[in-house]
Amino acid sequence: MNKPNMNRRTLLAAGLGMGAAAALPTRLLAAENLVVATFPGTWNEAHSKVLAPYFKKRTGASVTQTIKLAHDQVSMLAAARGNPPFDVAIFDDPQVLDAVKQGLIVEYPKAKSPHFKELLPEYQDSWGPKISMQVIGIGYNPKRISTPPKSWEDLLNPKYKGRVGLTALNSQLGIAFLVELNRVNGGTVDNFDPAFKALKALLPNVGAIGANLGAYATLWQQEEIDIAPYNFNFVQTLKGRGVPVELAIPATGAVGWRTSFHLVKGAKAPDLAVQYIDSSLAADLQTALEQVPYNVIPTNGKVALTGEITRSLGKTHADLAKIRAVDWEKVNPQRGALIERFNREISK
Amino acid sequence: MGGRTANGHPEWQLALPLGAFFVLFFIAPLAVLAAWSFYTATETHTLTLAQYARFLGDRFTLGILWNTLWLGFQATLVCLVFGYPLAWLALRLSPRWQAALLFVVILPILTSVVVRTFAWIVILGSQGVINKTLVAIGLIDTPLRLLYTETGVIMVLAQVQLPLMVLPIMATLMRVDRNLFDASASLGAGAWRTLWRVTLPLSLPGVVAGCILVYAACVTAFVTQTLIGGARLIYMPLYIYQQATGANDWPFAAAMSVVFMVAVLFVVYLLNLLGRTSKGQIYG
Repeated sequence: MNKPNMNRRTLLAAGLGMGAAAALPTRLLAAENLVVATFPGTWNEAHSKVLAPYFKKRTGASVTQTIKLAHDQVSMLAAARGNPPFDVAIFDDPQVLDAVKQGLIVEYPKAKSPHFKELLPEYQDSWGPKISMQVIGIGYNPKRISTPPKSWEDLLNPKYKGRVGLTALNSQLGIAFLVELNRVNGGTVDNFDPAFKALKALLPNVGAIGANLGAYATLWQQEEIDIAPYNFNFVQTLKGRGVPVELAIPATGAVGWRTSFHLVKGAKAPDLAVQYIDSSLAADLQTALEQVPYNVIPTNGKVALTGEITRSLGKTHADLAKIRAVDWEKVNPQRGALIERFNREISK
Repeated sequence: MGGRTANGHPEWQLALPLGAFFVLFFIAPLAVLAAWSFYTATETHTLTLAQYARFLGDRFTLGILWNTLWLGFQATLVCLVFGYPLAWLALRLSPRWQAALLFVVILPILTSVVVRTFAWIVILGSQGVINKTLVAIGLIDTPLRLLYTETGVIMVLAQVQLPLMVLPIMATLMRVDRNLFDASASLGAGAWRTLWRVTLPLSLPGVVAGCILVYAACVTAFVTQTLIGGARLIYMPLYIYQQATGANDWPFAAAMSVVFMVAVLFVVYLLNLLGRTSKGQIYG
C-alpha cells in the first residue's frame, strides 16, 4: 500500500474547511422551515401526511417534526428555556397547566388566526386551541374475543390469563386508565389505593407491559396481547394497517381529554407557527383528518361527525361533550409518585 | 514522561488540545451532573446527601441496581461463550475468508440497535419464527414466553453486543505467533490441551477487553432492555429515565446516575485487575 500523501498542513486545512462549512448559516441554503412537536404513534403520521402538505400549500414552508410525548416536551422546553427546540408544542389537558405555570408557552394570538372562531366554544382556549379529543376504552382483538368486553372488570376474567396488556404510566393513556380504574373501584383523586388493589388483582392476567407507546403498538401487531386499555385514534390507525383490533367503550362510560396546539415562548418563527396551528383548525383539514385511518375527532363546529366516531363515540358534538374528563389539576402533581408506586407494586 | 519535542517544549503539551476538548465536553458535564445530585428536587441552593441516602437506603432501588449489574454479567458470559469460538475461527481461515468473516461480524454494527432489537421481537414473539417452528414441529403446544423475560433480554443483549466481544479477541489472537501452536503440538499436546494451556491464556488480554466493552454496553443498553424486557423488568437505565423525564426529579436521577457509574467503573476495575494478574501468569 502506498504511503498516504498527506502532511500536517493539508490535514489542518481540510479540518478548517469542514469546520467553516458546518458554521455556515443554513438559512441561506434551505427553504423556510418550521420545527413542530407531535406525538408518537399515529399522530406524527397524520401530521406529516395531511397537515404538513396542507401547510406547505398555504405558506410554501416545510415542516420538521420532533416526535415526543407531551410530558417529555414540557421537560425539554423547561430545560432549553429561552432557546426552544421547536416552535409549536402539542399538549394534552394536564400539560397545558404545567406549561402555563412554568411560563413555557404564550397566549395564542387569536387575531392572527382566522379559523379560531370556527371552533366550538369549549375548544377555544386562550392558551392554545383544542385540535381534538382523545378517548380511551378497552381495545380487544376481535379474532380471539368474539363478544366485545363491557366493563373494565372484564380485564380480570381468568380466560384472558397472560393475554392482557398494560402500558407504562409515562403516557397519558396509562394515567387516564389508572384514574378511571380508580374511580370505578370506588377511589377518588386523593386516594389511589383502590386502583392499585385492582391492578394487583389484574397482575396474573397481564401478559406484557409496554415501556412506551411504540412498544405497546408492537404488542398488538405481534398479537402478544388480546385485550388492553387503548386509545380510539391508535386503534383506528392500527385497524387501517390490517391489525385485528377494535375499541369497546365500557358501560361505565368513555374517558377522554383534549389535545391542543400551542405557540412556544421564544419561538424562532412565530408567524409561521401561528399559520401552522391555524391550518390545523380549518374545516377542510379537520375533515381530511377525520377520515380513515386517522379518525381524529374534529373540534371545528362546521365539521360533522362521520365514520367510526359516530359508531363508537357519539353522533353529535353534544354527545362528545358528555365524555368524562379527568381532574388533571389534582392528578398532575401526583404523577411522579404514581409512577414510583406503579414500579414498586407492579413490577416483578 | 519527561520527553521533549524538537523545539524543546515538553512533550505532554501536545496533548493539550485534545485534553481541553475532553475536559469541556466530557468532564464538565459529568461535574454538572454530580453537582445536581447534591440538590433536592425543589430547591437548588443547599447541598445535601439526601438523594444518595434515598437511593442507597431503599431495598427496591438497590435491587434494581443489583439486577442490572447481574444482567450485565450474565449477558457478557453468554456473549463470551458464543464470541470466542467465532474469533478463534478467524485464526484457521485463509486471509480472504478472514476478511469475509470480519465483514460479517462488523455488519450488525452498521445497522441501528433499534432495528436489530425490533427484529428480535419478530423472532421471539408468540407468533415469531422460533415459536412457529417449534409448534409446527410439534415440540410444544402453546407458544413459549420468550419476550418480556430476563432470558430473552440476555439472549438479545448477547447477540446485539457480539461484535464488541469478537473484534478484540480476534485482534489479539491474530497477533499471536503461529509457531507457538505448532510448538505446543510438537511437544505432544492435543488440540484441546493447546486450546486450554496456550490459546486461551495468550488471548486473555483480548478477552478482558471484550468483556469490559460488552459489560458496559449491556448494562446501559436502554433500548434493548425496554423493548425486550417491557416495563415490568426495570433496570437502571429505564429507572433513571423515568425519574428524570417522567417524575421530573433531576437530582434523584443525577444521584442514581452517579451511583450507577461508580458501580460499573468498579466492575470494570475488577475485570482489569483480572486481566493484569493473569498476564503475569503467562510470562512469569
